[in-house]
Amino acid sequence: MSGPVPPTAQPSEAFAPLAEELEALFGRGVDAVLDGGAFNDLALRVFAFQFGANPVYRAFCERRRATPGTVRSWEDVPAVPTTAFKHVDLVCGAPSAAEATYVTSGTSSGGERRGRHHVPRVALYRAAALPNVFAHLVPEDRPLAVLSLISSPDEAPRSSLSAMMGFVAEAWGDPVRWVGHPELGADLEALRRGVAEVRELGRPALVAGTAFAFVHLLDAMARSGDALALPAGSRIMETGGFKGRTRAVERDELYGALESRLGIPRNRIVNEYGMTELLSQLYEPVLREGGGAAGRHVAPPWLKVRALDTGTLAPLPAGEAGLLAFFDLANAGSVCHILTQDMGTVSADGVRLQGRSEGAEPRGCSLAVEDLLAEGGGRT
Amino acid sequence: MNASSREFAAWSLPAGLVPPEGPRGSARVGDVLLRWPQADPAWVRGVGEALRRSRDALRKRTARDVAALAGAAGARFLDSTDPLRARALALLPPTAGLSAEMAEAVLDGMARDWTGERLGRLLGAEFANPAALDGFVPGGLGLARAVGPRLCVQIVAGSVPGVGATALLRSLLVKGPTLVKPGRGDVVLPVLLGDALRSLDPVVGDAVAVVYWPGGSDGLEDAALDEADVVTAYGSDAAVQELRARTPVTTRFVAYHHRVSLGVVGREALEDAHRHRTASEVAGAVAFFDQRGCVSPQLVFVEEGGDASAQDFAREVAVAMEAVERHLPGGLLDPEEASVRHQVRGAAELQAAAGMGVEIHDGGAAGWTVIYDPGQDFGPTCVGRLVRVKPVADVLDLPRLVSPLGRHLQTVAVAGCGTRLERLAGALTEVGVSRVAGFDAAPFPAPWWHHDGQGPLRALVRWADLEAG
Repeated sequence: MSGPVPPTAQPSEAFAPLAEELEALFGRGVDAVLDGGAFNDLALRVFAFQFGANPVYRAFCERRRATPGTVRSWEDVPAVPTTAFKHVDLVCGAPSAAEATYVTSGTSSGGERRGRHHVPRVALYRAAALPNVFAHLVPEDRPLAVLSLISSPDEAPRSSLSAMMGFVAEAWGDPVRWVGHPELGADLEALRRGVAEVRELGRPALVAGTAFAFVHLLDAMARSGDALALPAGSRIMETGGFKGRTRAVERDELYGALESRLGIPRNRIVNEYGMTELLSQLYEPVLREGGGAAGRHVAPPWLKVRALDTGTLAPLPAGEAGLLAFFDLANAGSVCHILTQDMGTVSADGVRLQGRSEGAEPRGCSLAVEDLLAEGGGRT
Repeated sequence: MNASSREFAAWSLPAGLVPPEGPRGSARVGDVLLRWPQADPAWVRGVGEALRRSRDALRKRTARDVAALAGAAGARFLDSTDPLRARALALLPPTAGLSAEMAEAVLDGMARDWTGERLGRLLGAEFANPAALDGFVPGGLGLARAVGPRLCVQIVAGSVPGVGATALLRSLLVKGPTLVKPGRGDVVLPVLLGDALRSLDPVVGDAVAVVYWPGGSDGLEDAALDEADVVTAYGSDAAVQELRARTPVTTRFVAYHHRVSLGVVGREALEDAHRHRTASEVAGAVAFFDQRGCVSPQLVFVEEGGDASAQDFAREVAVAMEAVERHLPGGLLDPEEASVRHQVRGAAELQAAAGMGVEIHDGGAAGWTVIYDPGQDFGPTCVGRLVRVKPVADVLDLPRLVSPLGRHLQTVAVAGCGTRLERLAGALTEVGVSRVAGFDAAPFPAPWWHHDGQGPLRALVRWADLEAG
């Protein structure tokens, strides 16, 4: 594709060949080499497509005087703040034509606005998610049984995380044991049954869940005195923070409890970092590189991460902490360049997350009005 | 200031008390190295015990005398020849993230209420007979007296400099020794005030301890909370909730949790003759404290049908924000504040791009932002001189519109509501608002205001009756 497409185009016309090309690229896996020049060429082509097909984003870029004609580097493509997904529809083509709309998580009070990520082509999401899952959760490439505290896509059709678990289920052709509970986070009885089945199969398991769900599972197991022994070689995918939920627990404490209650050592617990607004994810490569990799996340080659100065948004040198911005080619159907509120450092070997408030003591007193209605905005 | 004076020891202790030995904690704020004691719970308990012992001497003073003494120390911050004021002005900008000009304006506004005259008026406003703080006076069931705390522990947020010093003075006025744990952005003034009190009068000075430690030091806070009989807590809902949960049930807990303030501009203030001034006052109220105050308006509702539309008025506020920037420049935002501002500005740009009627004006690097937003929601807001201007058909619609914020509402700044003001104010207070004031007065409530709905001194005392007969 060369040059912008008319803003009236349906994404499918110009989008399909571009998406197919990206899907083929993602299919080469997370270890395939994509050099800087090749990434930049692709990124600029995707930007040109989005400029033509996403009218809101186009107007935003024009306000910032950035067009496919003027931008030479993906770093200069205007980044959209994650908050914007709560307030505008950022999608190529009509939102109603999107194959899926994923929403960010809310709180029990449910009064807040949620971010909406319209996805015109779910296949692109699947193509980006699965190679990463395989590389980081099953590097030895053997079949696993899956116990998911994450709701199934049928139960949570607007959850990007549930969609990802759905992709895994399809890809492995194995019935995932859905052991989540919409309110409690975990259904202990279902988990007990699931573990018994898995033991019967004699196959190691992947237990997937949010930190919130694991905390509630461990609370329930502590009350009942349960300790479940998962088959040797089992592993955990843990994702997400505790934002806006009932209880915060230090990660170390959480992993220690998971080890003692589920029998999965902490060097087999993999943290996944993702958000509804990004269709690619980052993982701690502890299964690929060993426990020493804990605390460091790596991105697939089609996702670029930068740390930006909190004041000026200028890019920072390697190792300096700043706001994380992502350029994700898997977001070709919406907007690729995303500015988050998460802090971290970026080095050649990966990203070290710092969370939102590390380094800054809360000042208190005056708070954003929307936050008074309810805290929220995480990923489901 | 020379290089060595750019270190600040973030404590002020009664005579005979010293910080525990060993390494100090430290953090760089701007070009100042803040140092604090690596305290342990036993040391905090020791401070609490010493403060409680100091009360025997303090209670022999009359409340009026204490007010006069405290006022003599407080007034030093207003004296342009006093080195104490110079020291405060040198340390405030880096530690509070304010420009030098704003720091001076904040100090003037705060310290104006720390004089003997103002503190005396505060006593008189809070107690029909301030001698009730000194012993029984006629009243109630015969005789009554107001007993101040044996120890008032105050955990203060760091948003606005001066809040900690004001809290310190409130406790002294009711003759309660106090331990103040200031927030990181507000360490300077309570420490300097504590030192100034001690140099003026050992009895009052020994009833004051100010010690900074990083927020979330649960062991230290628990020790302090156990020692107190009155606790005041300033901060986020979550922080105050947590402190409340850890405070013994027998201890009085005075909560200053999250608050939000708004503005409303009626048609009368939009008339051609007044509009310019109104816009200036709105801009001033938003800009003061770089909007970190709980009194700082975040949303301003503008009545439709006047000489200017809300959209036009937003443009005038933007011009006024730029003018404020020239004489009271904005300061530095901390990383989290800056991050939220990027989000809110960017989201507003996208709302504008999406044809939602949003118009955004900003000062670029200068940091102020005015967003005209006709949407139904409140929309995202943040600190750092960012105001959303929203149209409202009739100012009397406001109470209904803002009622979802009721439990967090504090000040509503008003202009141009004419004869409707009392009706509007009545309805606003029904939904939760505790203060209605002009935009120009919004940043600095008088000391005797009903702070978040209660008398600032009366909240600290316990009444006792001696029944007649």
